[in-house]
Amino acid sequence: MSDPLGLALTILGLLLAATVLTALLSGNAAVRTFVIALASPKAAAQFALRSELTINPLLVRAAHWPLIVACGASAVLAVQLLLTVAAAGDSVRFVSDPLTWFEAGKLKASFTFVVDPLSSIMLAMITFIATWIAIFSSGYMRDEHHRPDRGYVRYFAVMSLFVFSMCGLVLANNFLLLVGFWEGVGLCSYLLIGYYYDKPSAAAAARKAFLVTRLGDTGFILGIFLLWTLGGWHTDLTALFDHIQKNPPDTAALTTACLLIFCGAVGKSAQFPLYVWLPDAMEGPTPVSALIHAATMVTAGVYLVARCAPLFALVPDAQAVVAWIGGITAILAAFIALAQTDLKRVLAYSTVSQLGYMFLALGTMGAVAPVFAVTAAMFHLFTHAFFKALLFLASGSVMHAMGGVIDMRRFSGLRKVMPVTHLTFLCGAAALAGLPLLSGFWSKDMVLEALQLGAEGSHPHAGSFYLLLLVALVTAGMTAFYTFRAYFLTFWGEVRTPEEAGHHAHESPAVMTVPLLVLAVGAVGVGIVAEPFTHWFSGFLGHTPALQLAGRLAGAADVAHHFNWGLAGVSTLLALGGVGVAYMAYGTGGPERVPAPLEPVYALSRNKLYVDEIYYALVVKPAEWLAFMARVFDLFLDSLARLLAAVPRFVGNWVRPIQNGLVQFYALSMALGLAVFLSFVVFRISR
Amino acid sequence: MNPLTDPSVQQTLKGVFQLVLPEIVLIGTACVVFLLGCLHNRRWLWFVVSLLGVVAAGVVAGVVKPVTPPVMTVAPIIPDATAAFVRWVAIIAAYVFLFVSWPEVDRTNAAEYYGCLLVAAAGVSLVGRANDLITLFLALELLSIPTYILLYLPARTRANQEAAVKYFLLSVMSSGVLLFGFSYLYGLTGSTNLTAIVDGVTKANAERLSPMALVAIVLVVAAVGFRITAVPFHFYAPDVYEGGPAGVVAQLAVLPKIAGFVALARVLGLLTAPRPGEPFHLPFEAGTQVPLLLWLLAVVTMSVGNVLALLQDNVRRMLAYSSVAHGGYMLIGLVVASSLPDAVTHQTMTVGRYGAMGVDGTISTPVLAAVGGVEALLVYLVAYGAMTIGAFAVVLYLTTPDRPVESIDDLAGLGRSHPVSAATMAVFLFSLIGLPATAGFVGKFLLFVGAFAAPADTPAMRNLYQSLAVVAAVNAAVGAYYYLRVIGVMYLRSPIRPPVSSRAVPTLIAAVALAGFTLFFGLYPQPLIKAARKAAPVPTVTKPAGETK
Repeated sequence: MSDPLGLALTILGLLLAATVLTALLSGNAAVRTFVIALASPKAAAQFALRSELTINPLLVRAAHWPLIVACGASAVLAVQLLLTVAAAGDSVRFVSDPLTWFEAGKLKASFTFVVDPLSSIMLAMITFIATWIAIFSSGYMRDEHHRPDRGYVRYFAVMSLFVFSMCGLVLANNFLLLVGFWEGVGLCSYLLIGYYYDKPSAAAAARKAFLVTRLGDTGFILGIFLLWTLGGWHTDLTALFDHIQKNPPDTAALTTACLLIFCGAVGKSAQFPLYVWLPDAMEGPTPVSALIHAATMVTAGVYLVARCAPLFALVPDAQAVVAWIGGITAILAAFIALAQTDLKRVLAYSTVSQLGYMFLALGTMGAVAPVFAVTAAMFHLFTHAFFKALLFLASGSVMHAMGGVIDMRRFSGLRKVMPVTHLTFLCGAAALAGLPLLSGFWSKDMVLEALQLGAEGSHPHAGSFYLLLLVALVTAGMTAFYTFRAYFLTFWGEVRTPEEAGHHAHESPAVMTVPLLVLAVGAVGVGIVAEPFTHWFSGFLGHTPALQLAGRLAGAADVAHHFNWGLAGVSTLLALGGVGVAYMAYGTGGPERVPAPLEPVYALSRNKLYVDEIYYALVVKPAEWLAFMARVFDLFLDSLARLLAAVPRFVGNWVRPIQNGLVQFYALSMALGLAVFLSFVVFRISR
Repeated sequence: MNPLTDPSVQQTLKGVFQLVLPEIVLIGTACVVFLLGCLHNRRWLWFVVSLLGVVAAGVVAGVVKPVTPPVMTVAPIIPDATAAFVRWVAIIAAYVFLFVSWPEVDRTNAAEYYGCLLVAAAGVSLVGRANDLITLFLALELLSIPTYILLYLPARTRANQEAAVKYFLLSVMSSGVLLFGFSYLYGLTGSTNLTAIVDGVTKANAERLSPMALVAIVLVVAAVGFRITAVPFHFYAPDVYEGGPAGVVAQLAVLPKIAGFVALARVLGLLTAPRPGEPFHLPFEAGTQVPLLLWLLAVVTMSVGNVLALLQDNVRRMLAYSSVAHGGYMLIGLVVASSLPDAVTHQTMTVGRYGAMGVDGTISTPVLAAVGGVEALLVYLVAYGAMTIGAFAVVLYLTTPDRPVESIDDLAGLGRSHPVSAATMAVFLFSLIGLPATAGFVGKFLLFVGAFAAPADTPAMRNLYQSLAVVAAVNAAVGAYYYLRVIGVMYLRSPIRPPVSSRAVPTLIAAVALAGFTLFFGLYPQPLIKAARKAAPVPTVTKPAGETK
């Protein structure tokens, strides 16, 4: 089977089948929990407690198999798909036959799926990473006696749906369909972050993630409506881009539309100012964090902007906004990550920061060739998926061994206790820090190069790109520092374990370490294989028709990717410098010591720049006050509404006696009604 | 030539039987069931035989290719797209009713019950293709008379019998009014053929409005108003729905509505495709007060239905008033359809703005910027049929002799005691409210969009179409209250009486299938919309390409 669309749809079908199968496995309990959870999380908690205990234990033990098999098979198919697309040559795009969903007047929604280099590389990445995360989960989601966790089945059912939604999102070629899968991803993240729903902080984090991303989604949906009116009533992406290319709309309107679309990306990809949900999202099980931070969810926003490149390429102002939001996010999150004491929180902020990097690259879309900018962003996304998944899984392995403790102040020196985890974490950390020759180095270098070229170009916002290049370089140094700070604090120094871990903290089982090793190989090698010498990645993505269209629209010159020794040298120095400072400060492991003069800075970083507090004061407090006023007003409206609602009842009570059950009366009223109608007509005619 | 020997007339009349083969199969099966039922009355036997009859009718309907009669003005039966749509709806409805009615049928009445059911379905199907006043009247009676019998068949209590008698008396009265109206139409045009009548009235009204034609059409609207439960012809509905057997009431709520709306659309000339090259006119256009009358009827019907449904504590009475209200919504379709001539004029002026360029250099575009009234009506009829039959099927499934489902309180705690029936009932109620992802939403959406997009600047109707959409939306909001109350009772209250397990499995199967249908066409409505659009003739405006720019 080599039909690309067939392959893509098979992947979707496999994942959907896994979802349904797992859901059925739980005797509908998972399904019902979904439904109830939507209405009231509290009721869901009670219900799930009751039902999950009654599932057949044998079936529970097998609950991970559908996901693993489906993901594994999908990954194989996705690689085959990738090869097919690569072999198909330049400007290749396979669009499925349209399926008309709804047609009423001007509104016509036809659904199509698209397979092009952009979507196929995403598909391959998602399914590959998800496979290893699924395998890791089957070990992680058990207690110390290897008994499956209470919500084992639910976990795998939602995970399957999550991967399915993400794959659908990537393949969708219609804004409405895309929104459908987009919301599916949002729903699954809500269910997974709130996996331990009986823990108040987890429930709150889930709610926060859902509501904050929903804030962005509102903009996204408004943007789609605006584009719908601008783009000749098309919701199909291909048709929309073609239409906009032929009839360029007003720049201000298109900028607004692009910024509204970008709102969605800001929410989903956790950018400033909506990034606050992502660090809290680690309340979910650690493999979920790995999936959210690496392969799914947060990459959706980056993918969306990359997919909409033909729109963004037309409007320089929107590009500048994208770049600035990316830059602010990158440095802000890196700063907050400096002093976090929670291992997973460090990683979470580093994800936010790295996503900012990707948007930095996307923002240069008009200043350099869009193909190059998007390639830089996608390449960073690609390598980041490997090392971030690795880092999260490794921290999950630590957390598993430490009995659920993840505070770096409470353990250290795990190097000897958990050799495999240590080694793989080191690989991931080095790649994230951007140490030379590792995958993070190459992709970060490409982002920096895009910024540099943008700054040298003739873009109206070229000056901004200089500043942003500086921001990116500073961020790179900070990244190296906080990554290795976490590494040294966790793995170096004398061996200390918290009492929750018991007396024999040990390395995780093979089902967890094998995925770590595989991903570590990826984190180290995938960058050097894919790009610097072969230029395979950029060449492949360059074949995407949408990106080529964006290139023609932007009119920027094509740049061949050449290795920039100066930039690489500076970033290497910064990375090594960051690692060095971290070694000096924390190389001996043990409890964190803060030099006195830096204490205020540390406090600022540790308290996340007080952003949550600022939001609380600026957004939540006024909102609460507004809510109170609204409530007062509501009471007034409510009584008014009750008054209005009483009118139908009053009228009804007044009319009701006519329904007296006497058939003679009924016949009389029919005759009278007829007489009224006739006289009405006669009166109208004779007038 | 002597019309008695005109070969095309001969051929038209001879071809009639071939056009009603599926109906003949249905009625033939019914005859067999009636006759042999006297000898051997078994539920299973006659159920299977009737099922085979319906399936055979479906096969025949699918296999036999319709031949368009050469002379429309003498053809009593026409096989147009609307007729085909109605036939399929009738056959599928018969199929569903066979399953739904399972617990109401016993060995004493099985043959009569199933026989009457098949005849009623044949009646609905014939209404869809009747092109003659006499055929139309007969088809409507073919639907009514079995219903009288069905109402009486399982009648055990005084309430049952009262319901049957009430329906019989009032139905007969409305048939009388209908015949009175038909006699005027015949007297005015000298023909009983609907094509001839519509043509004649259209031509006459285009010159000068004929008062007697108006009187005739008012009589017809009033008589059909009984079948579509339009206020003030709705009085029988609550009493009959409450007293009648639930399975029969489900038929009563759906089949006469389908037949009534199709008959009304046929008599009003809304199903007549315009002839190419001629200006498009309807017999009763906006200037003739008939659309205004229908507008009033729609507003009064939906408002009274919803307001009175608010007060009901009895599930069936609530569903009866809700069916009245839905009749009002569907009347919107007829009102909107009457705006077509205005829309054509409007579109001819603005064509090319949204028109698609044809291959041959001409622009051929559907007249409607939005949705035609008739197609929205057909979609709504199907959606309404599914959800109403479904709701009654659930009530019927839960009703056992020891534990009848009368008041809404009888459904308390259903979510826990009968999760499947509660879930299906919830689907039907959501669909009746018109929430998205249900077929009810699709129907309401199309009706409202059609009303909203109708031309607003005509002298006769001014902005009445738009205000109709607003009134309907307010009504839909009022309606949500009493449907949601039932859902609340089902899921949030604890059971009052212990649940009894019903053995009417076929009814439950039918209910679940209808719920699936409702959800499927709610999520993916395009096939239904496409079928309805094909069934409703929409005039197209064709202009040469040069004139449009």
